[in-house]
Amino acid sequence: MQKKDKSFQIFNQLLESPQNSLVQEAADSGRIPIAYTCSFVPEALLMADRLFPVRLTAPGVAGTEIADNYLSCMLCSYTRSIFEYTLDDCYDLIRGWVFVPSCMQMPRVYDNLNYLKKPAFNHIIDVPRKINDATVGWLTEELGILAEKLQNTFGVDMSDTSLRKRIDDWNHFAGAIQALGLLRKKNTPPLSGSDFHSVVMAGLTSPKDLILPHIETLYRKLENQEGTGKYRARLMVVGGHLQDPEFIKIIESQGGLVVVDRFCTGSIPGISPVILNGNPLRSLAEHCFAKTLCPRMMDSFDRRLETIIETVKEYQVDGVVLEILKFCDLWGVEAMPLVSALRNEGIPVLKLEREYRTSGEGQLRTRVQAFIESLGK
Amino acid sequence: MNDIVNKVQEKMGSLTDLMKGIWDDSLIEYLVHTPTTKDALMHLKYWAVNQANVLNFGRKLVSKVGLMGVKSILENNPWILYLLKSDTLVRRLAKGKTGRYHESICVLGEALHLGITELLEEMYFDPSRLVIIEDMLPPDLFQAMGLKVYNLESFGLFLPMLAPDSVLAYIDEAENAGVNPDSCSLPRATIGMVKKGHLPKGLAIVTSNLPCDSGMSAYSYYRRAFNLPIYHLDVPFNFYDERAEDFFVKDLKDMIAFLEQHTPGRMDWDKFREMCINRNRMLEVELELWDMLRVRPAPLAGEAIWLSHFWHYVVTPGKESSANYMKILADLAAANLEENTPATINENYRTLLWNAPFFQFIDIFNWAENNYGITILMDSLSYNHYEPIDVSTPESMLKGWGRVVMQGPMVRHNRGPAENYIDDLFRAYKQFDIDMVWVANHVGCKSSQSLNGMMREQCRAKGIPLLMLDYDLIDPRIVSHDSMLRQVEHFMDNVMKAKKLGQ
Repeated sequence: MQKKDKSFQIFNQLLESPQNSLVQEAADSGRIPIAYTCSFVPEALLMADRLFPVRLTAPGVAGTEIADNYLSCMLCSYTRSIFEYTLDDCYDLIRGWVFVPSCMQMPRVYDNLNYLKKPAFNHIIDVPRKINDATVGWLTEELGILAEKLQNTFGVDMSDTSLRKRIDDWNHFAGAIQALGLLRKKNTPPLSGSDFHSVVMAGLTSPKDLILPHIETLYRKLENQEGTGKYRARLMVVGGHLQDPEFIKIIESQGGLVVVDRFCTGSIPGISPVILNGNPLRSLAEHCFAKTLCPRMMDSFDRRLETIIETVKEYQVDGVVLEILKFCDLWGVEAMPLVSALRNEGIPVLKLEREYRTSGEGQLRTRVQAFIESLGK
Repeated sequence: MNDIVNKVQEKMGSLTDLMKGIWDDSLIEYLVHTPTTKDALMHLKYWAVNQANVLNFGRKLVSKVGLMGVKSILENNPWILYLLKSDTLVRRLAKGKTGRYHESICVLGEALHLGITELLEEMYFDPSRLVIIEDMLPPDLFQAMGLKVYNLESFGLFLPMLAPDSVLAYIDEAENAGVNPDSCSLPRATIGMVKKGHLPKGLAIVTSNLPCDSGMSAYSYYRRAFNLPIYHLDVPFNFYDERAEDFFVKDLKDMIAFLEQHTPGRMDWDKFREMCINRNRMLEVELELWDMLRVRPAPLAGEAIWLSHFWHYVVTPGKESSANYMKILADLAAANLEENTPATINENYRTLLWNAPFFQFIDIFNWAENNYGITILMDSLSYNHYEPIDVSTPESMLKGWGRVVMQGPMVRHNRGPAENYIDDLFRAYKQFDIDMVWVANHVGCKSSQSLNGMMREQCRAKGIPLLMLDYDLIDPRIVSHDSMLRQVEHFMDNVMKAKKLGQ
């Protein structure tokens, strides 16, 4: 593995708290943190004026006993973990919440939040589950409704001019992440998958303008570096919500190098620039659909499959690790045809079921080790 | 020698059990134990009608596909043999009931038999016009296009009512293929049936984002398994406003265009109007029936209410026969009301069932009625706020039909905000003068599970006795029938402080 660069420390430190130091800094200066949980939320819209988006995490969550009382222990551990932290007031800086009916479970966090905490601003964007002109139009209207509510609640400027500016800022951020990500195409990438994931997650949980300088500094350091090349197989991680870089670190401890990430909180195609085409709200709506590959989208299985296949070729991936949160019905059911289709394409797949908090390290190591060996590496 | 004796004894024991089982399920045993001779004759009459329907279907099937065709259908769809237990189902539902209550179950039984034979005709008689639809989509609009149609999940729900273990092999098939075992068992059973090739293919698939993630996601698999063109209907999250209705009507129009492109189906608005009129008639009659249920003791209860609604609104909507059957039920209730005759003399606890009923242990309702005087008067799959469909124009009909889908069973409860689920419960509680609420706590239903905490607290605050009955929708291995009965007994003992009848 490549020599540990101290530049990653800042990103790892930011991930230790659900409201990191940059969020604190921004909130202290009068900016307004808005929490969100789903990749279908257009971050650029939540960056308007004094707003800034904070993707909710629950680092170090020890248990979800109280959340289980309301949400049931048979729900995905991500929903339960963030709800547990909500009940523990771990998100006390948050001034507003924006959800998406990503699945059947996340809207229940919205419901239970309304029931127990009655936040001043709690909104669900009704994102359709298929993509066509009508649904893009619907989502555009939905984003307009959200923008108006934000404007009325927080007195922020949600005009087209304001949105265009923030789209520009988002594109700048996305560009920096993408540039970093492209370094992983090299035969000897200068950064590991877990390091890259730390950067992405820190980016999603921090104000973009405050984290960007760190990302750009990192890129300048790594741009012309080469890694040691000490790995056995190039891997791609695919799946749902993954926030803990430790999971990828464990995979990489067995000789795999995760060179590309195609999961909810990953960069492909999750962190991509918005193509500004006239109406900024419509551009954001189109971007939401373009950047998120989720089994909730009924009509896009083929697109999800083809994206994985193309990315495997583009990044010279030896095998795919499909990680699924236990109790996630979307990925749990989709995995069956997906794994079958990938294997038919000659792509080796390891399917792993996991919890939100990284656990079962021993089992994970063993399975990854066996998988890499089965690749003949 | 001892081994031989033991083996013979074992065989004799098994044979005895088998004979006992056959006797227990038999018509004769039932007739011997009916409360009155009138009940026995009533039951025999409907039994004869049902047999005639089945024989008529058999004749039509042979004439349509020939004997070899029948053999092929049975070989490729072995689950069909479970349908021979439909008679037994009716007897199980009717056991212990008398008078018009008993008759209402017989009427329901006739509707079930007729509906099943009609559904089988849809599935197998004309593959050149067959379309597969998802279970939350009513078939009538498609039938108005001259198409044959079946809900892919329908037998996954119906077969466990006939035999609790009827779909377990299919569930296991899906799990062995890699489907998560904690998802709802209905999509797993259906995936298993499709995987084994035990369901007919058709020309196209129409599905939707209903009712839940597992059900919806499974269609990515079905599309590839059947290799058919597919259309997805998309119900908005908030669907009680004009904007959502207009959006969905546009979606329905696109769906019709899709079907006209991929199938010989053509929309016949006159036929659809007729079906909507039948729906409206059925709604009117059902509302009359519901009004009568508010009387204590209720003139009808149990499966006559909830299973009738499920059957006629989900499986056979839009048919004149469905409206007629509901009218018969309403007339029976009215006659009982006129004579002050309750459905059951032991109506001690009027109960509201919330969430999908116990399809794999449907006998629990009869058991509860006979043991505690618990009558199920309403359930969440039946309870609705439908309005008659405006049949004046195609647009108004689509809008009305669209509302039915968007506000459909499980749909409005599992989709959309919590108010859809919880406010409805309290409204039904008041409307039907309910004594206690049972939540059918299906382990695979994450949407409803995540509202249990909220519901528990609100019921406690309102002083409503609440039983969260853990079970699995169609897999009795997850929570045994015995365990389900113990949960009810424990609740009745500790919360309701009730003894069993006769104790």
